[in-house]
Amino acid sequence: MTTTQIPTPARTQDVDPPTKPPRRQREGAAWVFLSPWVLGAAVLTLLPMAVSLYLSFTDYDLFNPPQWVGLRNYTQMFTEDPRYWRSVVATLTYVVIAVPLQLGLALVVALALKGMRRGKGFYRSAFYAPSLLGASMSIALVWRAIFNDGGTVDNLLGTGGWVNKPGWALFTVALLTVWQFGAPMVIFLAGLQQIPAELYEAAAVDGASRWRQFLSITVPMLSPVIFFNLVLQTIQAFQVFTPAFAVSAGKGGPADSTLFYTLYLYDRGFVASHMGYASAMAWTLLLVIGAVTAVLFRTSRSWVFYASEGDR
Amino acid sequence: MPGNRTRKSWPPRRTAKSRPSRTAAAVLALCATAAALAGCSDTGESTSAGGTVSLRYTWWGNPDRAARTQEAVDLFEKKHPGIEVQTSFAGYEPYKQKLATQAAGGDAPDVMQLDYRMIDQYASGGVLLDLGKQRSVLKTTEFEPGLLATGKVDGKLYAIPQGRGTETMVYDTTKWKAAGLEPPKQGWTWTDWADAMRELAAKTGKPGGTDPGQSEDAFEIWLRGQGKSLYTKDNQLGFTAADLTRWWTFTDKLRREGAVSSAEQTTQLDGSVENTPLGRGTAISETNWDAPASGYLVLVPDGISLAPMPSNEDGTPGQYFKPSMFMGVAADTGHPKESAQLVDFMLNDREAAKIVGASRGIPVNESIRDEIASDLKDFDKTIYDYQAPFEGKLNAPPQAPPSGDSALQTTFQRDYDQVSYERLSPREAAENYITEAKAELRS
Repeated sequence: MTTTQIPTPARTQDVDPPTKPPRRQREGAAWVFLSPWVLGAAVLTLLPMAVSLYLSFTDYDLFNPPQWVGLRNYTQMFTEDPRYWRSVVATLTYVVIAVPLQLGLALVVALALKGMRRGKGFYRSAFYAPSLLGASMSIALVWRAIFNDGGTVDNLLGTGGWVNKPGWALFTVALLTVWQFGAPMVIFLAGLQQIPAELYEAAAVDGASRWRQFLSITVPMLSPVIFFNLVLQTIQAFQVFTPAFAVSAGKGGPADSTLFYTLYLYDRGFVASHMGYASAMAWTLLLVIGAVTAVLFRTSRSWVFYASEGDR
Repeated sequence: MPGNRTRKSWPPRRTAKSRPSRTAAAVLALCATAAALAGCSDTGESTSAGGTVSLRYTWWGNPDRAARTQEAVDLFEKKHPGIEVQTSFAGYEPYKQKLATQAAGGDAPDVMQLDYRMIDQYASGGVLLDLGKQRSVLKTTEFEPGLLATGKVDGKLYAIPQGRGTETMVYDTTKWKAAGLEPPKQGWTWTDWADAMRELAAKTGKPGGTDPGQSEDAFEIWLRGQGKSLYTKDNQLGFTAADLTRWWTFTDKLRREGAVSSAEQTTQLDGSVENTPLGRGTAISETNWDAPASGYLVLVPDGISLAPMPSNEDGTPGQYFKPSMFMGVAADTGHPKESAQLVDFMLNDREAAKIVGASRGIPVNESIRDEIASDLKDFDKTIYDYQAPFEGKLNAPPQAPPSGDSALQTTFQRDYDQVSYERLSPREAAENYITEAKAELRS
């Protein structure tokens, strides 16, 4: 066990009135109640993270003790590995395609559902269903069968398979993600229902068209929710793994076109047994996702409107 | 965290030191309890009630192999009442990854099936037991010395080959004959093969065969025909970018002519016969190992035949008898003797051999091979008859490939994808491969 650093925060006991139990004791009880979470976070998250940070500076093949190599994994990644860059390009392409499409579709469906009088619950569940199924391996396998040559799409459209053409495979995987728009849709729907109806009534009185209302009321009022969905889906898209793994049978093919970052990370770590290199890749990904999120937060100042701030 | 292992446990345990406070003590006590519950229950002791020894035995393979293996294991348990064997199996890729994770965690099964490519890595990583020390229960006297040596690393016997296989060109018998071609004979050359592919494509309108450019195995056979090898004795690359460029130029030209399968077909290969062009009915032939070729039987209704691999132009054969799989014992098994007994039974027992047949390739044990020959049925017999004419005519197998080879096999396929999708020229892709392979072998 390495949870040796449990902070014992109470150092001063001077201010507590004598009638209450000492502050230290009360906080002690809090720590005991927190301990399942603290233990989980420390042993299952923080410790492995620290270990992987250490491993990223080593050459580690799972069997022999790790050898310290300094920054070699990082320099090899950035300067000597063409496949690494192919995986970066594939991942960025995927994020840029899948995230806007998914959010756009979620918003359109949420708007349609909002105006609906009857059967809302049914349609909401129906549109959400793919998100429940979608994370599973089986849907990804079905997807592969549908878009393979001799599959449903080939038979209907006569286009041949999609998953075995380098220009199409990534789009096919993105389509699988876009189809799972349930979670952002539900959040959008909740956000839409928060927008006060008076705003629309006032706009209608002033003669604003539906489109004008959408641009001037819905979008600004919904912008915090759009921002939330954007950040969440972007972070998830960077870490996409299961669909690409299943659709390309674990290879990231054809011709590395769906070799997403996590897929290549898995390949380096578990197929090629270069855990050090894989750890370096993981930490780079963490930093990149952190940076992208920071950029999103920075740009949000200019387009996200929080009603509670009042007029600025 | 698994404790109490003989192997170096990593990360090293640290001793708890903390400020003496009641809170911390309580938390630590909780930790300790949780750790005892979660991690330390598995101490490697597997003796269950009644004094029976329990062993874990794992392998990869199809359901047919699993059924036959289980039957043999049941017989073993009957003959050794004190030993109980828990079996499990999976497909090759998941098996490989699961075993690697188990082995790294110090939790390798007592008896495991190993591939040629795993031996070097596991033996040098301290995962495998030196079976030479178990001679009292594990006999190897009936084994071909050449094949037995393939399980040795640094002179120690870490794994014993179970079966032997050799590469073959599988073809759809009816379509091959309908195109007016003679069945290929031993000694036919790569030029003859290419002509046959073109002829088939012209007569049937389908590619004559699966593009062998993606296959490291096929490349190795082509290379060995020219007296070269994939790896040198000191585990460096045994060929140059020029060699690989010639091979890929040869196959790429055939692909452009339509004589072998298109990139869209070839890229779907995933190790299962179901997803091969021959299995899908989009090509007439392809190269594969002889034992898994049984899988084509249900996929090619007209029937299949096995042909020898093409030779070099001067007639030198490139194919060889490869130990198709090995049995090894975990170094940290609690029961080395019982584990060795199970290995001995699977390899040397006459009754077990009859049950297992050729589901792991033709047995390496020579006496057993001769004894079961007359009993072999169906496809087992096909494989036996296919291998028989090669006896004594093939060159010795290469030594166990270096540990990086497992990853390089995939790299090879991926780099050829770049050629067949016409994104890189054969020379560019070959140079990429050499760079990647050197980096892989260096680490």
